Amino acid sequence: MISILDVSLPIISFVLFSLLTIPVVKIIRKRENNRVALSVGWSALIFVIASATVVNLSNKYYEQSSTQPFLNITLTGNSLAIFSSSFLIDAMSIYMAAIFTVVGAIVFLYSIFYVDSTERLSERYYSVILMIIGCIIGVAFAGDLLTLFIFWEASAAGSSFLMLYQKTTRSLHATLRYLVMIIIASAFIIYGLSIVYGITGTLNFWAVKQTLTALQDKHLLVIAFIFIASGYAIEAAIVPFHMWLPDAYTAAPASSSAFLSALIDQGSYYVLLRILIYILTPSTVLNWTVMLAVFSALTMIVGNLLALTQRNVKRLIAYICIADVGYNLVAITSVTPLGIMGNLYFFLIGGTTTALAFMTVGFLNRMGLETLDDFSGIGRKAPLTSLALLLSAFSFAGVPPLAGFIAKYLVFTAAIEANLSWLAVVGVLTSIIQTAYLLRLINYMYAKTPQEKEITIKEPKKLLIPIFILSGAIIILGIYPTIILNLIEPVIQQLPFIP
Amino acid sequence: MQNTLLLTLLLPALAVPIVYVTGRKSSKAAAILLALIAIADIILLSTTVPYILDPATGYRYVESYSWIPVLNSTFALFVDGVSLSLALITLVLILTASLFSINYMQEKKGLAEYYALLTLLFIGLVGVFITSNLMLFYFCWELMLVPAYFIIGGWGYKEPYRAAFKFFIFTHAGAVFVLLGIGAIFMLTGSLDMFQAQTALMTAQPDIVKWILLSLTAGFAVKMAVVPVHMWLPDAHSEAPAPMSALLSGVIIGAGAYAILRVSLGTVFPAIMATDFAVQFLHGIAVLGVLSAFFGSLIALVENDIKRVIAYSSIAHMGYVLFGLSCFGLSLLFSAPSSQLFQVILAGTVLHLVNHAVSKGLFFLSAGAIMKQLEIRDIREMGGLAGQMPITATSSTIAALSIAGVPPFACFISEFLIFVGAFQVISSDGFYLLPTALMLVATVLSLAYALRYLSHVFLGPRKHEEAKEAPFFMKSAMLILAAFVIILGIYPTFFINLINTLSFV
Repeated sequence: MISILDVSLPIISFVLFSLLTIPVVKIIRKRENNRVALSVGWSALIFVIASATVVNLSNKYYEQSSTQPFLNITLTGNSLAIFSSSFLIDAMSIYMAAIFTVVGAIVFLYSIFYVDSTERLSERYYSVILMIIGCIIGVAFAGDLLTLFIFWEASAAGSSFLMLYQKTTRSLHATLRYLVMIIIASAFIIYGLSIVYGITGTLNFWAVKQTLTALQDKHLLVIAFIFIASGYAIEAAIVPFHMWLPDAYTAAPASSSAFLSALIDQGSYYVLLRILIYILTPSTVLNWTVMLAVFSALTMIVGNLLALTQRNVKRLIAYICIADVGYNLVAITSVTPLGIMGNLYFFLIGGTTTALAFMTVGFLNRMGLETLDDFSGIGRKAPLTSLALLLSAFSFAGVPPLAGFIAKYLVFTAAIEANLSWLAVVGVLTSIIQTAYLLRLINYMYAKTPQEKEITIKEPKKLLIPIFILSGAIIILGIYPTIILNLIEPVIQQLPFIP
Repeated sequence: MQNTLLLTLLLPALAVPIVYVTGRKSSKAAAILLALIAIADIILLSTTVPYILDPATGYRYVESYSWIPVLNSTFALFVDGVSLSLALITLVLILTASLFSINYMQEKKGLAEYYALLTLLFIGLVGVFITSNLMLFYFCWELMLVPAYFIIGGWGYKEPYRAAFKFFIFTHAGAVFVLLGIGAIFMLTGSLDMFQAQTALMTAQPDIVKWILLSLTAGFAVKMAVVPVHMWLPDAHSEAPAPMSALLSGVIIGAGAYAILRVSLGTVFPAIMATDFAVQFLHGIAVLGVLSAFFGSLIALVENDIKRVIAYSSIAHMGYVLFGLSCFGLSLLFSAPSSQLFQVILAGTVLHLVNHAVSKGLFFLSAGAIMKQLEIRDIREMGGLAGQMPITATSSTIAALSIAGVPPFACFISEFLIFVGAFQVISSDGFYLLPTALMLVATVLSLAYALRYLSHVFLGPRKHEEAKEAPFFMKSAMLILAAFVIILGIYPTFFINLINTLSFV
């Protein structure tokens, strides 16, 4: 039997370690030697314990998942269940928590090497990252709209600190913009939620869904949907609400961009997936597919076209993040089991691939290499880093045997299956554009000769460790995706049993 | 042995790092290692010949491993007569290309990477012919692309990355349409196996299947460089290093034709055979074939760059193959698989792929040998090389005459079979009268550019006294291929027997 403790342990452990990290890093900083080894040891400890809590939860869940696939766990006992915060544990939330923990661990490892622990305030940086991982796992476990909102806003607000870490004028502007956007977004969401609460008298996912399914007059629901959806659309950077993302990701330090793209971005898609497919299920509750299809086409087209015009490599990758939103939306729009499988796979692959790209670019940015011209000829100067960037570029472009291919294949097939062939064609055409600008990047890296010959780049071995873990993952998951698809399969099998 | 085909793919896959490490020390050793792997693969694949000639096994040899069960997808490997012939000839080309590289690439840098990429390409080239799973097929299809991109870009001529970029964008754009088609097949049938999908598609709506067929064929046609999507080919083939040109022209574009035969016509086409669209589609590709043949031959006739002449002749020859494929499709419509027409046209088309692969490979290698000696590319500035480079001249002549369709060299017999088939097709569909006549004219053009090439390069007064015969490995690579061109021309029966096992199924 799963108790409330089992569910909250992953969250609690991350929050607790987040607080502990501040003094621990300060102590480590004072030591003369073994700083790196100690910080790696500390993060290993954190993530081993956190993973153990997630594994414990998943084991307990799968012991009884056949009888009760959707577990609703409340804080205050069953009598007041509909009023209080509640957690929902199903195969999907377990899967999300697992990938958040694993990807979070790798990105955290990179952050430790990238943001030097001797810097002032670095301990807060690590602490905030851990706090956000805790919150984003809370998002995955949330069982009612309010809990979801609170955890989600906590992680979104926390990410502004990650963007601001370098305190340059650019990052200040970008963070301000981001904060304004998420405040507008949360106002929208709160308004939409209050309408939903007004209609249904509850915020619990399944209770809301049951009331809404029985609802005759859906006008008010449409308004509520527009507010909630556009609120989360802003945070997921769906075109035309995407403007904050490139600025924020470019101004942030690379470790932050990697973290945000791998966890916060994927978290926002998860929220959309949960709300749109599990609660506002099309045909029974609300038909939003056409609207979302238009947005997803728009996002793919605009994201990719804007990426084509970028000369700053980090910004280019930020625009790929936007394009990825579009591909995710294609799968959400399809509302088919295959689409959800594609989505869940894309959460992992899109996240790791963008994180990998940001990690490699971040290291090169340190050397003062920012634009495409600066990247000329780095293929020879920094062969290992370039190889990793090359892998992520080909994975974005959907070239097998890299993981991005299977993700795109699932997404497009889902669109065809849902009679949205035009959307699949748009996706295919935009991914040709994507190939074009990624190949241009590769051309710069390998074909052009560098303008200034004297620059020599020494590749730091430490940073290459997380980079190569992710590169390896992209290759292995591309050749043998069954490893992840086996984890996703229970989610698909549970789909018909959604209350 | 139980795992022959898996081994065929695993051998080069495992060899990639070994080749790379060996190449760091000695590039010659890496090339010889690669050649040995190719020979090992030839031996492995040859062990399946008895299965294919044996009616009890259904004329094919199949292996299957668990891969992505969720997508109903197995790691299915198989060979039948057609795929085995193409896979074998691919291996022969890889073998000669790697031998040729020893001398040809000698002074170049980064040879460890070059041979590692060539090994990677090896997996894709062979894999594409020996799988029956569409997903795995697409994996290998793209695996042909990426290493080729880097080989052209890294070791090519003029502005190599420009040519490589064009190559990548065109063929990848084609590939995503293939992907769309594969996705639609999976959606309609729930299967990614070529043969299961074929049966399952029979019950699907012809309207959708029509689009799948068009999307797939368009994608494959890009790789095959059919006019009007041929633009990548002249640049890529002429700027690539000679061994890569040989592989590109010999095998990669041939894989496009194989894919049309196997997937478009094999898997999808039967589902719409009853509709009017089927005939229109075949007429359409026949017209494109004639266009390619004429376009390629005419430009080859006026082109002066030594490798561009050969590159355009590849476009022309893919025109013949496409025309043959169109006739083959028609034979599916009008006659039983065991009929003579089916056998003749199938044998002609596939054999032409095989023959073109060896002839064009030889042609590019000998052109590479000349370029290596003279370091010029304009054929008008060459002359009188016959006396100075006798072996290169002989191989060039054999290759050019084969390309021109002169007996007893290889391409003659396959072109002849295609025409015999086409004449039989005319009796059931009058439309083919004009295309067949035009195709016959195109063969005359190909003789013209072949002779023009030979006379410019090898005859006339000597213009370059310093030219010497190509070094040992280059010579031996050319001689191996020249032997194949002659043997295939005189005794094509081995391959015809292999290919025609398909008609008994």
